[in-house]
Amino acid sequence: MPGLIGAFAELDSTVEAIGDLRRNRFAELTVYTPTPRHELEHALAAPRSTVRIFTLIGGLCGATFGYWIAIWTSSYWPLVVGGKAIASWVPYTIFGFEVMVLIGSLSTVFAMFALARVPRLTMTVGYDPRFSGGHFGIWVATAPDRAKEAADLLKKHGAVEVRHES
Amino acid sequence: MATAAAPMEPRPNVPSATVRLPAVKDYEQVDREIIATLRPTLGWFAALATAILCLLIGVSAWFYQVYAGLGVAGYQPPVMWGVYIISFVFWVGIGHAGTLISAILYLFRAGFRTSIYRCAEAMTVFAVMTAGLFPILHLGRPWKFFWLIPYPNWRLLWPQFKSPLVWDVFAILTYLTVSSTFLYIGLIPDIAVLRDRETNPVRKQIYAMMSLGWRNSDREWRHFTRAYLFLAAFSTPLVLSVHSVVSFDFAMALTPGWHATIFPPYFVAGAIFSGLGMVFTIIVPIRKFFKLQHYVTLNDLDAAAKMCLFTSLVVGLAYLTEFQIAWMSGNKIEQDYFWNRVFGQWAWAAWIMIICNMVLPLSLFSQKLRRNPSWLFILSLFINLGMWFERFVIVVPSLSHEFEPWQWGSYAPTWVDYSILIGSFGWFFMWFLLFIKQLPVIAITEMKEVVPPRLRNVGGGGH
Repeated sequence: MPGLIGAFAELDSTVEAIGDLRRNRFAELTVYTPTPRHELEHALAAPRSTVRIFTLIGGLCGATFGYWIAIWTSSYWPLVVGGKAIASWVPYTIFGFEVMVLIGSLSTVFAMFALARVPRLTMTVGYDPRFSGGHFGIWVATAPDRAKEAADLLKKHGAVEVRHES
Repeated sequence: MATAAAPMEPRPNVPSATVRLPAVKDYEQVDREIIATLRPTLGWFAALATAILCLLIGVSAWFYQVYAGLGVAGYQPPVMWGVYIISFVFWVGIGHAGTLISAILYLFRAGFRTSIYRCAEAMTVFAVMTAGLFPILHLGRPWKFFWLIPYPNWRLLWPQFKSPLVWDVFAILTYLTVSSTFLYIGLIPDIAVLRDRETNPVRKQIYAMMSLGWRNSDREWRHFTRAYLFLAAFSTPLVLSVHSVVSFDFAMALTPGWHATIFPPYFVAGAIFSGLGMVFTIIVPIRKFFKLQHYVTLNDLDAAAKMCLFTSLVVGLAYLTEFQIAWMSGNKIEQDYFWNRVFGQWAWAAWIMIICNMVLPLSLFSQKLRRNPSWLFILSLFINLGMWFERFVIVVPSLSHEFEPWQWGSYAPTWVDYSILIGSFGWFFMWFLLFIKQLPVIAITEMKEVVPPRLRNVGGGGH
């Protein structure tokens, strides 16, 4: 979808512009910020990340696999060592724990990649290298008939540059 | 221009709330000054050359050992664990402070971690990479190293999952994977900054690939911050578990001096203490040579020194508790062993350990010394030495003084052992030096969280 990008030098201007755009029913906004800021998160009222669900599933699968591999291999060749039970849960907790951490962490990372849509091969329209430096950016996806209204809102809040892109 | 709204007080991002950097004015300054550390200097080339030379010494000694056999490494019955196992435990320990600083302090919202955590995280990864070499160096046939990995033989006989050595493989591999992942994930936004500022097309392309197309969008940050939090939450118990598992290598044996329930917390405290020592060894010169005093402030060093003092006290308490356990056990073998450790054959090593790890760190009760980078650097060298000797004192005296007099013996490392030890320092510092010239040694993005953002409606629009 075509749209326009506004670059801002100040945080408060960006927050105000987001609020005004949302009040004027510009719903498809992407905000670029050099560092995560609570103010922007609240202004956007974005839903909570669902990464935690994947963390939980990964952790549970890892713990289950860790215990299972140790118990299954011991049962496959049942050798009694030091008078301990064939499937001795105390030492096997180490495998349950370590594999839980391993799989839980990796699933967290892969979930983050999938949900944040990285890696991406090309930079999408609207990105500007300034947004990793000191500037904030707002990308407003809008039909051409409302582009002027969006541009006016961005400028009203002090955008240092407004650019149309498609 | 917009009508001026009510002035906005920027909400501090919680992990960095207590840190103030008055000499850092804006985000651009952070980019400029931290990226400037990536320019190679003559001093850096000299340090890298020294590290590579040390590494070559170690590699040459290892080739000789492979050719001549493990006998050249100074092993003689009954002491069949020596410098390699000591160095393995030493390097795993060094790797602990990184995750402590990056993960545990992140969860505890300790702001002073911001300036030093990247260094410490990189140190963790390279220290664990170094530690991982030692079980291989300890093998008579190192080309069979893959036998350490738990997989079944052709008769589907699996490794013994009740063996602490197999626990070790799982713990160390998990720790290496998770700490590398943690380091890389934290680096992605910073690599994106480098990508956007780089002018050399080849380097720009490499940074573009490494940053995975990161754009700093709200969507990316939202999932990134959550994922980072969960990784920190996973890493915290992992740190505690890994050195506990390493301690089981000893504590599960019935050898005098090893078979003690105090070992897991004792090892964890020792690991964190030694890692903090290495953090000072690294961060103090970096701070000075890269002129980063206004990022790594004296307050940060002071706070880290307090942590170092605390862990030193815990380690000292563990040393004394070991003696108390031996004394109160009524076990003659155990009592003889500890007497031999401190007043007998190994007294020289034990006293190096006690002076470096228990006595000298007490100087950190002085605020003046905690805020003196030169003293922190000198002390850190003593801590590194003392912690290596702690592992020497754990490994060698026990094996050389077991239950019966015919099991008593001695041990002296050879030039091969020393060369490989030097080589391990070369290997570690080579990776670290390469790291600091390719990637930012201070986290750019997290540092920006500390710097107040530019505002239009506060005090005339300044910071």
